[in-house]
Amino acid sequence: MPWYRRTYDWLERRLQLEGPIKDAVLHPVPKSTASWWYVFGSASAVLLVLQVVTGILLALVYSPSASHAWNILQMLNHQVPLGWFLRAMHGWGSNFMVAIVVIHMAQVFLFGAYKFPRELTWIIGVFLLLLTLGMAFTGQVLRFDQDAYWGLAIGASILGRVPWIGGQLVHLMLGGPIINGATLTRFFALHVFILPGTLLVLTGLHVWMVVKLGINEWPMPGRLVRRETYIQEYNELAHKDGLPFFPGAAWKDAYFAAAILLAVALCAAYFGPYGPTGTPDPTIINTVPKPDPPFLWIYTVLSYLPPEMETPFLLIVPPLAIAVLLGLPFVAGVGEKSWWRRPVAVFSVMFLAVCWASFTHLATYTPWSPKMNAWSGAPIPTAFLERRTPLERQGANVFQEKQCRNCHSIGGSGGLRGPALDDVATRLTEDQLIRQVLLGGGNMPAYGSTLSPPETTALVRFLNTLHPNYQPAASDASRAVAGQGGVPSASTVERGNGQHKTQ
Amino acid sequence: MKGLGLVLLAATALSGCHMPGRPAPGPEVPRPESVMSFAQLYGENCSGCHGADGRNGSAMELGNPVYLAIIDDAALRNIIANGEKGTLMPGFGNAAGGSLTDKQIDALVSGMRARWAKPNVLAGMTAPPWKASQPGDATHGAAVYTQACARCHGNTSQQPGAAGSILDGSFLALVNDQTIRTIVIAGRDDIGQPDWRNVLLGRALTDAEITDLTAWLIAQTPPHPGHPYPSTQPTAERPGEQQPLATHTQ
Ligand code: HEC
Ligand code: HEC
Ligand code: HEC
Repeated sequence: MPWYRRTYDWLERRLQLEGPIKDAVLHPVPKSTASWWYVFGSASAVLLVLQVVTGILLALVYSPSASHAWNILQMLNHQVPLGWFLRAMHGWGSNFMVAIVVIHMAQVFLFGAYKFPRELTWIIGVFLLLLTLGMAFTGQVLRFDQDAYWGLAIGASILGRVPWIGGQLVHLMLGGPIINGATLTRFFALHVFILPGTLLVLTGLHVWMVVKLGINEWPMPGRLVRRETYIQEYNELAHKDGLPFFPGAAWKDAYFAAAILLAVALCAAYFGPYGPTGTPDPTIINTVPKPDPPFLWIYTVLSYLPPEMETPFLLIVPPLAIAVLLGLPFVAGVGEKSWWRRPVAVFSVMFLAVCWASFTHLATYTPWSPKMNAWSGAPIPTAFLERRTPLERQGANVFQEKQCRNCHSIGGSGGLRGPALDDVATRLTEDQLIRQVLLGGGNMPAYGSTLSPPETTALVRFLNTLHPNYQPAASDASRAVAGQGGVPSASTVERGNGQHKTQ
Repeated sequence: MKGLGLVLLAATALSGCHMPGRPAPGPEVPRPESVMSFAQLYGENCSGCHGADGRNGSAMELGNPVYLAIIDDAALRNIIANGEKGTLMPGFGNAAGGSLTDKQIDALVSGMRARWAKPNVLAGMTAPPWKASQPGDATHGAAVYTQACARCHGNTSQQPGAAGSILDGSFLALVNDQTIRTIVIAGRDDIGQPDWRNVLLGRALTDAEITDLTAWLIAQTPPHPGHPYPSTQPTAERPGEQQPLATHTQ
């Protein structure tokens, strides 16, 4: 006997793992489960392994100290060979993992796989999702840059709204009343010990149950789940029309996992690591912090909620959502599995997917927040200043100096908080423009007290030029009549060249 | 062995070639006060009013080489740091509540010169100084206006010329004498305003003419500029109620 055979036998006599592993690997599964739809669970597990491996490598260098963390990431990005790639793999691995876990969950839901006898598998799955999101959030904090800082600040202010114990919760989360060194240590412990430990144990349980209870068969309309008969029916299906899990179904899992790993590596190589963005210094106010991709949608939702709805929403919706997910197998534990006969399920998934996609898309360009340096940085396009009178030019200066541009775009640049003003003069007459500027309204501040009369005049003259050449500006016919009735026309009503405005 | 070789190969390929994801040197988002690149400083702080390349903006053409030839570094630094009183030019220095440090302002000044100044633009002529040395005489200014400016800007604000009125009350209230002086001396070749050599047909304007003209123009600012209906009383006034008078005169 060769030496390796002897070593193996020596170990196997003591460990006795061969039997159970063979059982697990070769157990028959229904043929219908050897489908590309069933690859997401194993891909999540593979991504978890990737995160553990890259995470351990990062932990070799990282130090959870408020004064060093940011510099260490800089060093990894710039000095350690391929350090940036390691960071990028871990960051993109995290995005992919959240995405694949969510897809896996949607697939399980649509295939009715949470029904009897797999209720507990689903419930543990819900906790796995929460832990994955927890890992993503705590990981973002360890970057300890501006995004991390403000992410924490927002997280803390959400917790602070919990009635009665909010203050204590914030203290617990931050390790003090403010974000400091202790906060980082706390999140480090969460991110490398507590959450991954729980995640690994629960993943083990989850997989164990999948093996023991069998992979959910392909749902057929009309084949109802009944507690009394399901197990027997499943075993028949698996043995009569089944095949061993390995290699029957497993090769698809392997291919998909490889493709996902490749996709992570490509994203890492192409898009690079996340940040670190600026140093986490709250005195730098000129910053636009953004959460990592899995949380972008929350950012949109919170921005669009009216202030008085925020607290109820934050405190009611997440616990409710979790309760719904956990209660699902108890409410709908038996019956129809096929999506053809579960329209509510299908439409819920579609609805959530569309909401999620549009919220996330909105969060990538944040139309609700003013662009804080548009007033000094975004030039007025030349076409809007060509052949204008000196007064109108000053009006453009007022427009920039009063920071109207931060909320209003012209020529496609500037804030999106208010409407684009490229052709505002076709919508509003001069008097309406004056009213809008002085009184504001509908999310626009009133400028009555901050604009002097000449500033107002210049500004409105400029706004009044904002119309295409082929379309005259809106005008108020009564003005002309009043003008003939003895009220002198305003001083520059007669236009300079280029202004084809009919009086 | 073969696997190890492949891994090594991949690793060298990764570290060797230029992958787009590889972070550029320096932090991704530098601290605001450590930005020293002229393009970024100008692009974020000035281009909104002075135009993308120092031209075609709503405010003075900073990219005009004649302008850069008549103004010195100290004056530039002072305006950028503290703003220009009586105009819409805000102060950007830390002391004025802005975000730029002294070093960044220096970077702006030297960047403007490096990018836009041209040697010998005055072609041997000495331009009138950027800053007026004595107060002007407004009574002489009217004649200079009629001679030099009226053909393009019109005789009165009611009859503006092709270049629009510069006698408009609101316009005058938003500029100061330095704005006018700078524009008359350096001109704005981006929008068609000639410089001091070409305003008059035939000869250049003198320093004294420019000073008088400026004084006269500023004196034309009405006491209550910018009221849309100048001849009517404030309409919000109820009988017996005294409205505070507008005290806006620059
Ligand atoms: C805080 C952001 C904000 C700022 C700053 C702001 N606006 Fe607005 N503006 C808005 C919003 C929002 C609206 C839409 C109001 C509504 O829904 O009635 C609006 C509407 C307008 C309109 C009417 C547009 C239309 O199509 O009906 C004009 C004109 C306007 N703003 C001009 C200005 C000017 C001039 C300034 C600077 C003095 C300015 N805004 C500053 C947010 C802003
Ligand atoms: C809000 C608009 C605005 C911004 C932003 C702005 N300026 Fe100005 N600036 C003005 C106005 C208005 C004037 C007065 C001249 C005029 O009316 O054209 C002026 C005048 C100046 C002058 C003096 C011109 C003269 O009379 O000699 C300088 C120099 C200048 N700006 C430099 C800068 C620099 C450098 C920045 C960027 C740091 C900047 N400005 C940003 C509006 C602006
Ligand atoms: C050859 C014609 C011409 C003459 C002569 C002329 N200007 Fe102008 N001026 C222009 C044009 C064209 C503009 C740009 C008008 C516009 O589009 O705002 C202008 C603009 C101006 C502006 C506003 C610049 C700005 O940045 O908004 C001032 C101030 C001005 N002129 C002052 C004068 C004075 C003072 C004189 C007399 C010394 C004068 N101009 C003579 C053609 C002329």
